[in-house]
Parts: sequence; structure tokens; C-alpha cells
Amino acid sequence: MRAGWLTALSLAVAAAAVAAYALLLRVPAVRNQPEGYVAALAIAATLAGLAVALGRRWYAWTALGLTLALFAGGATFNFVLARIPDTPTALAVGRPAPDFTLPDAGGRPVTLAEYRGKKPVILVFYRGYW
Amino acid sequence: MAELQGLGAALSEAEKAGVEIIAVSPDPNERSQELARGLKLNFRFVADRDLAVTRRYGLIHARGGEHGEDVPRPATIVLDRGGAVRWLSLADNFQVRPDPADVLRAVRSL
Repeated sequence: MRAGWLTALSLAVAAAAVAAYALLLRVPAVRNQPEGYVAALAIAATLAGLAVALGRRWYAWTALGLTLALFAGGATFNFVLARIPDTPTALAVGRPAPDFTLPDAGGRPVTLAEYRGKKPVILVFYRGYW
Repeated sequence: MAELQGLGAALSEAEKAGVEIIAVSPDPNERSQELARGLKLNFRFVADRDLAVTRRYGLIHARGGEHGEDVPRPATIVLDRGGAVRWLSLADNFQVRPDPADVLRAVRSL
């Protein structure tokens, strides 16, 4: 009986972690703490492990396999695949940003130096359509 | 993308402060235009097709793309009126972006 409850709890925690990651990606507080879902999946696997220890039922073993796979996948994604190496940049606080001229969406050239003396600028480098 | 939406939501305030937001990506212009329309943003989207400027800034994530190509390292940089860097956020995990509230705080403190 206890093994059943623990299995259900384990699967609920795992499902909540996956759903939270998928649904709340646009919330900075969630998106910026990706360790959170890895930790939740570790908790889910631990609960499934306890369920197996209490009663060696097929469903407890299944939940353990599933949550361990999710944990391994989530950890690999977050700590290996999603990592960006910290390479040196041309930027330092207090120093000027390198000037550039690039075409805007209408094909008109935009030159960074044109804003000098006029407006502060927020420069956002992003990857594109995602 | 998410960082642009976040900044877009905070934009009215940023606009009042008289800030120019320039979004740099290797995306072709047509796609940036689509994006700008979709998000109703008043950003200047500029296309760095060959990543030359991104490379000059040192913001390349080597072979970080889906097909092993170089892609930009997501970064948000606040420049003061004199063109000097005042605040800087470099991604070390491609899921992570600065909180728009932090960016605006940096702008307000100029």
C-alpha cells in the first residue's frame, strides 16, 4: 500500500517537473533556475527508490526506471548540452562597446555610434527565431 | 526570443526613459520583421548574417547550433549615452536569460 502511494507521488512530482519546464519557460524566475527541474526529478527518483525498497512491485520498478531516465536526461541537458563555454569577450564594464553598422529589418543601416551622445542603448544578442 | 518578449513587456517604461533597443541576430531580416510584427515590438532588429559583428564582440558559441554551426552566445548589454558598457549579462546556459527587471534597473541607474 505504501509502495503504491510513494509510486504515485514519485510520478506526480516527475510529471509536475516536466509540465512546469514546458509551460513556464517564459517566466524568468523558472527559466533561469533550470537546476530546479533537475532537482525535482532527483526527488521523484528517490521517492520511486523508496517505493521499491518498501514493496518490490512492478509499478514501483517502472516508476524508478522512468524517473531515473528523466533525471539522467534532464541533468545531461542542463549541465552538459545547454552549457555555453565562458569565452573571452570584447566587452568590459566602463569601456566602450565596439562600433558596428548592420542593416535593419527595412534594409537601412544602423550604426551604433549614431546613438552616442543621444540615448542609452540596450544591445541584445540573440539566436533567432526561438 | 523569450528575452525579447520580456523586454517587450517592460518596453513602455524603457521607451519613456528614451532607450534604444537594438536586437542583433544572424536571422534574415524577413524573419526579424515577422518576429517584430508578431510581438508588436519597437526594437531595431539588425541582421548579422555572417556573425562578423557578433564575432568581433566575442559573443560566439562555437559549434553551439543544432547542426554544429556557430551561433551567438545570448547576451544583453546596457550602454550609457557615451557608448560605454554599464551593465552586462552573458549566458552560460542557453536556457538562461536576464530578468527584464534587472535590465531596466540597470537602465534606470544610468
